Amino acid sequence: MDLNDLAERLKATPLSQAISGSDTLFPLLECVHVLAVVTVVGAIAIVDLRLLGLRARGRHIQELLHQFVPVTLAAFVVGFMAGALMFIAKPDTYLANGFFLAKMLLLALAGANAIAFHLIFNRALARVGPGVAAPLPARLSGLFSLTAWIAIIACGRWIGFTT
Amino acid sequence: MLTAFAIWLRATPLSLAIASHDWVIPAVQSVHIVMIAALIGSILVINLRLLNLIEKGQAITTLMDHYLPVVAISILVLALTGAVLIIGEPTRALFRITFWIKMALVLAAAILTWGLSRFSRTPAALGGDASTAMALKGGAVLALLLWTAIIFAGRWIGYTEGWPGAPQ
Repeated sequence: MDLNDLAERLKATPLSQAISGSDTLFPLLECVHVLAVVTVVGAIAIVDLRLLGLRARGRHIQELLHQFVPVTLAAFVVGFMAGALMFIAKPDTYLANGFFLAKMLLLALAGANAIAFHLIFNRALARVGPGVAAPLPARLSGLFSLTAWIAIIACGRWIGFTT
Repeated sequence: MLTAFAIWLRATPLSLAIASHDWVIPAVQSVHIVMIAALIGSILVINLRLLNLIEKGQAITTLMDHYLPVVAISILVLALTGAVLIIGEPTRALFRITFWIKMALVLAAAILTWGLSRFSRTPAALGGDASTAMALKGGAVLALLLWTAIIFAGRWIGYTEGWPGAPQ
């Protein structure tokens, strides 16, 4: 089964027709999606800017991770679900949209970067206490994360300007 | 008068320049949303701390000193990018009720945030007075609701029709 078949099948589901047939459901999902996205990026930026040594240099990096990773994950789940429902409403439109595909690729890269960050730097980060600079690879990971998320926002916004 | 202003604005070189490049509006909207992320991240830290849900090891006033400047700068950049969006499409947002609701909510949320900052530095708040802490928590819930409503209103501008008599 290829992606176009999947899109056709999704479009035939009652859920897809309920969302695309309503004047308010899709915009409401967009509102929830935007709220979740800005929460994810806002929380991630706090950690990334500390990694880069641009903000909160006086804080222990693990303390910041402990505070903000749960917020990020919770908001990501909400944003992902809202986004999935938007996709279900018009799967063929999204699959044909280059910015949507770019956004998905960037999401996968940002996710892989986050997982690699936690696996690789977990021990090294114990030493990144108040006033201590993060090791260069961890800083690069933070830079990649911040850049990817800004690009994800731009791609997301551009989806709506292309048909 | 608003109509005359919008029609004048639409004929300015800046407006015409923005309108003649398709990428400007989505690019400026992208910057607008990135700044909303900076704003909401800061707002979340401040208000979730007031609610004692996050950053319990940090003093409220320390966090406010750290994050309120980010809130202020974000609001400034949001006003500027928002202004570019209006200059680019003068007959759009200005004639939709959701835009004015959003502006009223931004004003209310900004004043509330400023008030919470002042109130959290009073001797009663710093001394750990229970009823003051309750009032600050109530303010934090209201602030989070207001900023959420602002995001919803912002998204809804695109789904609102212009009011009767709005220029085309």
